[in-house]
Amino acid sequence: MQAPKTYGEYSKEIDEALNDPQLRKTLDKYAITYRTNRAVVMRDIDEATLIHEIAEFKDEAAAHMEELYQQFKAEAEKRGVHVYRAATAAEANQLISDIARKEGVKRIVKSKSMTSEETQLNHKLIADGYVVDETDLGEWILQLRHETPSHMVMPAIHLSRYQVAEDFSKVTQVKQDPDIDRLVKVARVQLRRKFIAGDMGITGCNFAIAECGAITTVTNEGNARMVETMPRVHTVLVGLDKLVRTIDDVMIALQILPRNATAQRITSYVSWVCGPTKWKGSPDGQKSMHIVFLDNGRTKVAKDPIFKQVFRCVRCGACTNVCPVFRLIGGHKMGYIYMGAIGLILTYLYHGEDKAKILSQNCIGCESCHHVCSGGIDLPMLIREVRNRLVDDGDGNAMGSLMKIVMTNRKMFHNLLRFASKAQRPFTAGTQFQRHLPMIFMKKHDFKALPAIAEKAFRDQWGDIAPKVSNPKYRVALFAGCAEDFIYPEQLVAAVKILAACNVAVDFPMDQTCCGLPLGMMGQRKAVQTVARQNVRAFADGNYDYIITLCASCGSTLKKQYVNYLANDPDISYGVVTRFQDKIIDLSSFLRDVLDLKPEDFVNTHEKVTFHASCHQCRALKAADKSRELIQDVADYVPCFEEEVCCGFGGTYSVKFPIISKEIITKKVKNIAETKAERVVMDCPGCVLQIRGAVEKEKLGIKVTHLSELLADKIQPK
Amino acid sequence: MSNINPELVEKFTAMAQAVAATVAEVPSKEDAFKYIVDLCLSKDPCELLADEPGTEKGPLGPNRVPTRVQRVLAAPSLNDEDFALLENLCQEKGILCLRDNVRKYAAGIDIGINEAVAGVAASGTCLCPTTDEDVRLAGMISEISIVILKKSDIYPDLPSVAGIMRDAIGNGPEGSFTTLITGPSRTADIECVGAVGVHGPLMMHVLLLEA
Ligand code: SF4
Repeated sequence: MQAPKTYGEYSKEIDEALNDPQLRKTLDKYAITYRTNRAVVMRDIDEATLIHEIAEFKDEAAAHMEELYQQFKAEAEKRGVHVYRAATAAEANQLISDIARKEGVKRIVKSKSMTSEETQLNHKLIADGYVVDETDLGEWILQLRHETPSHMVMPAIHLSRYQVAEDFSKVTQVKQDPDIDRLVKVARVQLRRKFIAGDMGITGCNFAIAECGAITTVTNEGNARMVETMPRVHTVLVGLDKLVRTIDDVMIALQILPRNATAQRITSYVSWVCGPTKWKGSPDGQKSMHIVFLDNGRTKVAKDPIFKQVFRCVRCGACTNVCPVFRLIGGHKMGYIYMGAIGLILTYLYHGEDKAKILSQNCIGCESCHHVCSGGIDLPMLIREVRNRLVDDGDGNAMGSLMKIVMTNRKMFHNLLRFASKAQRPFTAGTQFQRHLPMIFMKKHDFKALPAIAEKAFRDQWGDIAPKVSNPKYRVALFAGCAEDFIYPEQLVAAVKILAACNVAVDFPMDQTCCGLPLGMMGQRKAVQTVARQNVRAFADGNYDYIITLCASCGSTLKKQYVNYLANDPDISYGVVTRFQDKIIDLSSFLRDVLDLKPEDFVNTHEKVTFHASCHQCRALKAADKSRELIQDVADYVPCFEEEVCCGFGGTYSVKFPIISKEIITKKVKNIAETKAERVVMDCPGCVLQIRGAVEKEKLGIKVTHLSELLADKIQPK
Repeated sequence: MSNINPELVEKFTAMAQAVAATVAEVPSKEDAFKYIVDLCLSKDPCELLADEPGTEKGPLGPNRVPTRVQRVLAAPSLNDEDFALLENLCQEKGILCLRDNVRKYAAGIDIGINEAVAGVAASGTCLCPTTDEDVRLAGMISEISIVILKKSDIYPDLPSVAGIMRDAIGNGPEGSFTTLITGPSRTADIECVGAVGVHGPLMMHVLLLEA
């Protein structure tokens, strides 16, 4: 397995995956069935509370890792287990090889363990002369093909039944039909004798329970308990992060883990192995049990104030299952050994900067993973943190550095944008699109029409359009964000019209600047802090009731991320930041919850309107339903298939990974077209840019606007 | 009986059935054993998944391996009295009823019997003490896994059986092995299509005892 070293190299690999129809079909089908089935099994539990409880006990365990290790060791040794600790992957592999030698082992049977993938244990054992057989069906297929897992829970998800039938025909020397049920039975027949002949079984473990020294394995196929039972020796390789305090903790986690992993209420088997038992393969036989704890950077991560969160991970793979990028390119192209969202982070933590440099850029920031994670890990934030550290360590790129220089100087940035508005004229032919960009800039971006910079920025119009409201109900300020201010000022103008009609006084503080999200996505932490300070100050003296933003991405940055970026800031007190954050509200929530607008406040012209739930509107701000309610007040709302799936914009993401962005938007536009709506609305100018560009390119004739524009058309003057 | 909660029984049954387990209510142990013997006689012959020198072999099974002529059933966890009762029924029908030495039949047996100390209604799960290797293997190498569970031992969810798990695991110094079993063995490793019967039982029956 290799990690890409340059964008060029990576782009080729991505292309390969995108051109693999079998992979695309399987992953696509899986993404949809997983989402549906997960929703069904989550219905019978209190998902949010359980996730919170898992986060709590895992955090506590990580904070007391050393103490739990000692307790586990004492309990396990009391029951006759040999407990070891390995500082590095190589040390763990050596220990296990030595155990095998001392125990006189020849044949080893393994059940699936991502930790053993992390240490690449099989290479070592095979090199040392042992016969090693993987017994999990997926892992066995991969072993036959000399491949590595492409998913943590379904390792062979990238393969088809035809490929498997071919491999099985080779290994059995009998032609095997591509019938899944039959193929499964081939593994049943072929592997039973291997369980029987094995001298040592190796498993990983999901939880290592300190209170009693037990390890648990959570499986469906029944191979783990075979591996734990048939051979005389049982060796467990386990990361220190798997330690938990009590049996009760495991019972909590077991309610989420299988639901999140495979949409099952529980797996077929959960083994709780607590020390060696009698072994009946010989008279008076006794099992020999060894547990190797792997550090490989874990004790260091446990002390990291930000990254320690990764230890909430229970390896359910949900973050992979919902990832729109994984859905397109699969785990081999979206990870080194661990894949998906958590994979991008663990690659950095366990396998180093070099391997993570390019990979960690491949996150679109859609928040889907954060929304489902068993431990409630803020995965997008941790991925940004990986990028921060890469930049801190001098691994940034030219685009990021340039953006930092320009965007932290508001006047320079805004003047540049004004200049661009004039300079682009030859290319726009007076439309909202850049029609004639030289092809060299367009190569991989030709799936959408690129927007033009507006003739006159919102900030430059404000003096002329600022409404006068006497006796206002509320005093609010607008936070524009770059896209609204300089590309789509009409969206803000529409919002001003609605607010004025509702007797709300609106202000627009001129010192505000970019929210910092694109800088954050590039790992430019210091630059984000600079603009964050500037924005908080710009609004600090206004005494506003609310600060309204029409950009869900800006909204989530201001409301969710500033407290982290400005924690312990020497210049701005925590109280000032939280006051700012508490005032941030999206337009829909303001109209719905604060102003309590009703259908009678609008004229419903029964326009057929569908919705795109922008990532940050539905998952970060959790306000998409407010928008849907408003649409229903003014129009005939037609739901769209996969309404909450990302549009593929992701700001700088679509610049770095245009081919992925293109695939995602193509599907989005197809779904929108299928609603036969006249218009699609959304809460984010970035999504407008992406969707309008693609709709224009396809000449679909569907109106693409911000929700504010729809509402402004229909509001009844008071 | 007063400590049977019909709602929990109903929920357990529905959840176990949802994962392809068969659930049957049996008034007494004797009824349970009759059910098991009937099932053993009516099922397809057991396939031999590995070589077993000296064993009489029948025609090839669906997976192109020989089948076992002798019907074999393992019930190592039963107490003396129950085992005698079952063994008697088996003898009448020519079924071999194992109490130990299960490992010798690792190539496959027809039926393995486990006794659960608790059931979990929320997921149709059985909590089985399986420290004894014979008991464990009975539920692993059999084509049909049978778990006997008292209705009064059904609890609502996993957290409510944590204490029972703690008792089953024990305080040492002996090692222990406890298993949560829910339905037959299964996989979705090829194209995410579900299939049952991988390395463990092809089918599971839960017998709910009126107690
Ligand atoms: S990070 Fe969260 S969602 Fe991803 S595998 Fe770990 S627990 Fe599951």
